[in-house]
Amino acid sequence: MLDTFEILTTTGVVLWSKSYAPVNPSVINSLINDVFIEERTLSGAGVGEDISAANNPPYKHDQHTLKWTTVKELGLIFVAVYRSLLHLSWVDKLVDNIKTIFIDLYGDQLKKPHTTIVECHFDEYFDQQMQQLEKTGLGTDSRFPDSPFQHQESRFVGISRDEPPPLPELGGKQENNTLSNDPTANELNRASSADNSRPTTPAGHLLTAKRPPGGKGSRRARKAANAASAHASSGEESHSKIARANKGATQKKGRKWDADGLADEDSDTQLDYSAAANGTTSDQETSERTGAVEVVDQATWGSKTGKGQFILKDLDDQVNSILASADSKKEDSAATSTGIVGSSLSAIGGLFRNVVGGKILTKEDLDKAMKGMEDHLLRKNVAREAAVRLCEGVERELIGVKTGSFESVQAKIQSAMEASLSKILTPTSSLDLLREIDAVISPSALSLQKKRPYVISIVGVNGVGKSTNLSKICFFLLQNKYKVLIVACDTFRSGAVEQLAVHVRNLKELASREGGEVELYQKGYGKDAANVAKDAVTFATQEDYDVVLIDTAGRRHNDQRLMSSLEKFAKFAQPDKILMVGEALVGTDSVAQARNFNTAFGSGRSLDGFIISKCDTVGDMVGTLVSMVHATNVPVLFVGVGQHYSDLRNLSVKWAVQKLLSSN
Amino acid sequence: MVTIQDLAQAALNPSPVGLALAVLFALLIPLFLHRFIFQSSGLTTLPSVLLIGPSGSGKTALLTLFERGNHAPTHTSQTPLAVECSLPVGTRAGSDKYRSVNDPTNQAHKKFLLMDTPGHGKLRHHAIKNITNPQNLKGIIFLVDAATLSAGDDALRQTADYLHDVLLILQKRNVKVLKELPVLIAANKMDLFTALPAALVRSSLEAEITKVRDSRSKGLLDSGIGMGDVDDEKDDWLGEMGSKEFKFSQMEEFDVSVEVSGGNVLGGGGASVDKWWKWVSERL
Ligand SMILES: Nc1nc2c(ncn2[C@@H]2O[C@H](COP(=O)(O)OP(=O)(O)OP(=O)(O)O)[C@@H](O)[C@H]2O)c(=O)[nH]1
Ligand SMILES: [Mg+2]
Repeated sequence: MLDTFEILTTTGVVLWSKSYAPVNPSVINSLINDVFIEERTLSGAGVGEDISAANNPPYKHDQHTLKWTTVKELGLIFVAVYRSLLHLSWVDKLVDNIKTIFIDLYGDQLKKPHTTIVECHFDEYFDQQMQQLEKTGLGTDSRFPDSPFQHQESRFVGISRDEPPPLPELGGKQENNTLSNDPTANELNRASSADNSRPTTPAGHLLTAKRPPGGKGSRRARKAANAASAHASSGEESHSKIARANKGATQKKGRKWDADGLADEDSDTQLDYSAAANGTTSDQETSERTGAVEVVDQATWGSKTGKGQFILKDLDDQVNSILASADSKKEDSAATSTGIVGSSLSAIGGLFRNVVGGKILTKEDLDKAMKGMEDHLLRKNVAREAAVRLCEGVERELIGVKTGSFESVQAKIQSAMEASLSKILTPTSSLDLLREIDAVISPSALSLQKKRPYVISIVGVNGVGKSTNLSKICFFLLQNKYKVLIVACDTFRSGAVEQLAVHVRNLKELASREGGEVELYQKGYGKDAANVAKDAVTFATQEDYDVVLIDTAGRRHNDQRLMSSLEKFAKFAQPDKILMVGEALVGTDSVAQARNFNTAFGSGRSLDGFIISKCDTVGDMVGTLVSMVHATNVPVLFVGVGQHYSDLRNLSVKWAVQKLLSSN
Repeated sequence: MVTIQDLAQAALNPSPVGLALAVLFALLIPLFLHRFIFQSSGLTTLPSVLLIGPSGSGKTALLTLFERGNHAPTHTSQTPLAVECSLPVGTRAGSDKYRSVNDPTNQAHKKFLLMDTPGHGKLRHHAIKNITNPQNLKGIIFLVDAATLSAGDDALRQTADYLHDVLLILQKRNVKVLKELPVLIAANKMDLFTALPAALVRSSLEAEITKVRDSRSKGLLDSGIGMGDVDDEKDDWLGEMGSKEFKFSQMEEFDVSVEVSGGNVLGGGGASVDKWWKWVSERL
């Protein structure tokens, strides 16, 4: 069973929801954060494209599975949440159908500017879909609504009114006789269309049923009637009316029932909807409705009416016709191609609009320009995978969008790419290393935390400049008067410890000028790095150090053995920050590097940031920044821009984006 | 050749058609220009109030409350949103102060645009754009979740960071475009028992912003600066130069008045946002 179903906007307002079990809002929030904002789902890049829920990767969070789909144009998200333990095959269909129905009913309201209010009385439509799909889910036939116009009257013939309600599976198909060839059935539908509401709002259909029977009005008119009728219901009143209606109904029933054949059967079979759902109330409603509808029918259609259930039936009809028209529209748009005159005219118009603006972008318009953008990014040393995904994202975002006045397609793409790059590179939460260190080494009296040193460890492949960047960070910390312990955990490569010792000697010299203190902690070669790190942290706590900087051995990201030792290392050293150094020069490999390191620390621990070194050597080609962040969603903390200890910078997103988009 | 001459002659002749066309053009062009220029200048837009603050502070919830009188369920926002609200009965816009009570314009409720922005770290550019490029902006409500602001909390750090950045933008704004800009720090979720009272919200934010300010001044430079790519930015010190501690009152020097007041959008006893309504009505 479903836990909850929500229809919400990208602006964060829930338009309609129905929940069967309480679900923490954080479940859907994390869907929005991970899938829509941070675009973490690597597989099935469906975000932004209005595809069926079945094609969007299901999102799992905290024992819940979320199925979703979007309508980009209206900024809508449809989400169904259920327990991961359950296997509900019909949820995709439900989400898709609800989307279609909701847009059809309330699309106009949703386009209104400057308001979040959408008057919707959607419960009945939703319940109808739920019942229908749950039924088809139980049975084998789940073809609805792909074959909406089969199963016609033949099915109803021979079911006598005295029979018990038909089996639930039958119901799933039978509501589809809207376009039945039988004239009586058609008339029936028309009659019932004067009134559509659902059984839980009895007063509503009483009121509407008494309207004049010329119910040939458009679907829109019926919609309005429906909305009104749903409003009209109020408990007290309805009860008395039901009672009255009941009286009138019973006696008329008899006369009518023997008068008609087919039509009677027809409506009889409809009964099973409510019969299946709520057996107790359906009886009452049935009779009540008969009474109400009698007035209409006797005047217009003689005694053709059977007992009740027009309301449900009509809702079904409406829903089915919405779904069917949406289906056929889809086929139409796939099949039709405008004539030569039409297309050439639109081509001229397109050219004109290309200059003046106000053009609605299509995939064809974008394709060529997007290819150019992709090549541009590749030239900037962005890994192919990242470039392709970025371009796909921008393309999806732009299809169907209107260009501004005097804005060319090119400019539009440029600005969309700029926004997209900034979004990727901007960290989710601010990265203020100094303040984070302060919070750890001098915790506020209230927070009950003991003072301890702040631990940073640096990882990366061989030769990217781990020790150098570690020294740069150390220099920065010394400038801010911290007491730093540098730990040599590269117990593997000969000469590594000595190299670090040289750095420490230099830094000590600088420290005497800048303030701060620095020491080296080393245990020679051959020891287990994780143990050394652990001892060093203990030592630092005893000796009252502020920051511990741990240098690790460089390792190839595809070296299984060395990579697996990182997990133990993270567990033993418990670093506050694990930073990975990546070289700006590295090309396609960057994605794999970042990804492998990000997952090497076991579940529950990942990288906290990148340091991209040697940015000064690549000029404008700073694509590695994007590739690495793109692969992992880990932000860039620092960039290395030179040979000196002071050549370390915070990443300025504006600067990076400017470089990436600059043309040469 | 002949046709061209003919055409020219026809056009220059004092024919009724030519005259009519000329008159038409003469009349239409100013109208056309007026429409374009007037629209782009933003003078036609309603006065607006901007809602900003970190994610989950209740901006969207507050917006729906202001719009409809009761709040709607909400989730994380991804796109900004502007809705038209009108002041509730019983409040008077600040600009109506000198109007007679019987003035018929009092009858119509003052309308304004309330703009919600996403608070997610990656999406704050929407909010920033609204400040740097204001459209008849009358005030900013910075919403904070008072229940997460206890000392040492990560949320306090993130909130102070955002507030610091916003105030810094206001301080460096182009005074010609935006003369004075009041900021209301609305301490939301007072219904929760962990919530700090407004006075404490004020002092802890001030203390944390002091830290942000120090750490920014000591922090590393941004990439690009000093590398010949970007000219050095001018001074980024928030508030009074050389002051040891940051106080919101220091912003007055820059025509930014900061107020802190508490309230809640949800809660057992219903919403309590009267103070915020009052603040809004005084800005209009
Ligand atoms: N207890 C309590 N909860 C509140 C209050 N105001 C808002 N909330 C809850 O806080 C949560 C977040 O509110 P939103 O309005 O979505 O937050 P937001 O500021 O719009 O967040 P973003 O859109 O992500 O920037 C919602 O679940 C609200 O129900 C309040 O006064 N008291
Ligand atoms: Mg929001």
